[in-house]
Amino acid sequence: MNEDLDARLRKALRPVDPGEQFTQRVLTRVANEPKRSIPRVSKTTMRWASATLAASLVLGVLAGHEWQARRTQQGLQARRQLLEALRVTRDKLDIAYRAVNDKDGSSTEAGEHRGS
Amino acid sequence: MNRTSEELLSRALAGDAAAFGALVRDQQRSVYSLALRMLADRQKAEDLAQEVFLRLYRNLSSVGSVAHLAFWLRKVTANAAIDRLRRDARYEAVPLEEADDLPSGDAANADPLLERRLRQLLQQLPPAPRAVLLLRYQDDLDPTEIARTLNMSINTVKSHLKRSLAMLRESIGETVP
Repeated sequence: MNEDLDARLRKALRPVDPGEQFTQRVLTRVANEPKRSIPRVSKTTMRWASATLAASLVLGVLAGHEWQARRTQQGLQARRQLLEALRVTRDKLDIAYRAVNDKDGSSTEAGEHRGS
Repeated sequence: MNRTSEELLSRALAGDAAAFGALVRDQQRSVYSLALRMLADRQKAEDLAQEVFLRLYRNLSSVGSVAHLAFWLRKVTANAAIDRLRRDARYEAVPLEEADDLPSGDAANADPLLERRLRQLLQQLPPAPRAVLLLRYQDDLDPTEIARTLNMSINTVKSHLKRSLAMLRESIGETVP
């Protein structure tokens, strides 16, 4: 039954040719179509694409420079802060050193007085 | 396909109208038949087939080979017909005689009444299953090719085929003793 139905369907659905006139009608409509050209990029599009690419490159380079300058600036600022911190520490250490030296000097002198 | 068809395609791509005409002649049988059996109306089928070939002309540069050409034409025709049927929402009410448009080549082996009845029953199917059945039995595509053509899953194609054949078998059983 399956094969029978398959065969019957194939017979019932045999392709039909629309005839030679059909081809002519298609060709007439094709002839009225605007000329088909191989798709290509127009000069205007190329010009715009080039300008866009150049602008992107310039912006990219500028952004890179900007980023680099900011990084350098941050580095210099950090260096200044470190130097300042070192200077403050050095000053404090100097004060402490002097204080210790002064104290030692006066103790030594006091000892000498006591001995004599 | 063969070398001549590939040459025709190359010449058509280069703008040779006669070569494009020969390509149309090669493919018009398949395109028109699919449109006719989908729409069940000769005039609408011819309009749709002409539109398909015009679209082919406009998009010829995207067709790489004759094998792709046949696939492209089937895909565009089937989908355009399905869209049209859905838009018109008239696929249940068709003039039955319109679908009866076969050549009488091997009439000796044919059962005209049964064939006509099958074509009438085909018109009762919704657009998508109808396209599936036509691509299977008119264009002799396998389910994988049908799935690619109609952008469906292979399971959907098989399901449409199974249900449509069951409906046809049942209906024939009712009408043919």
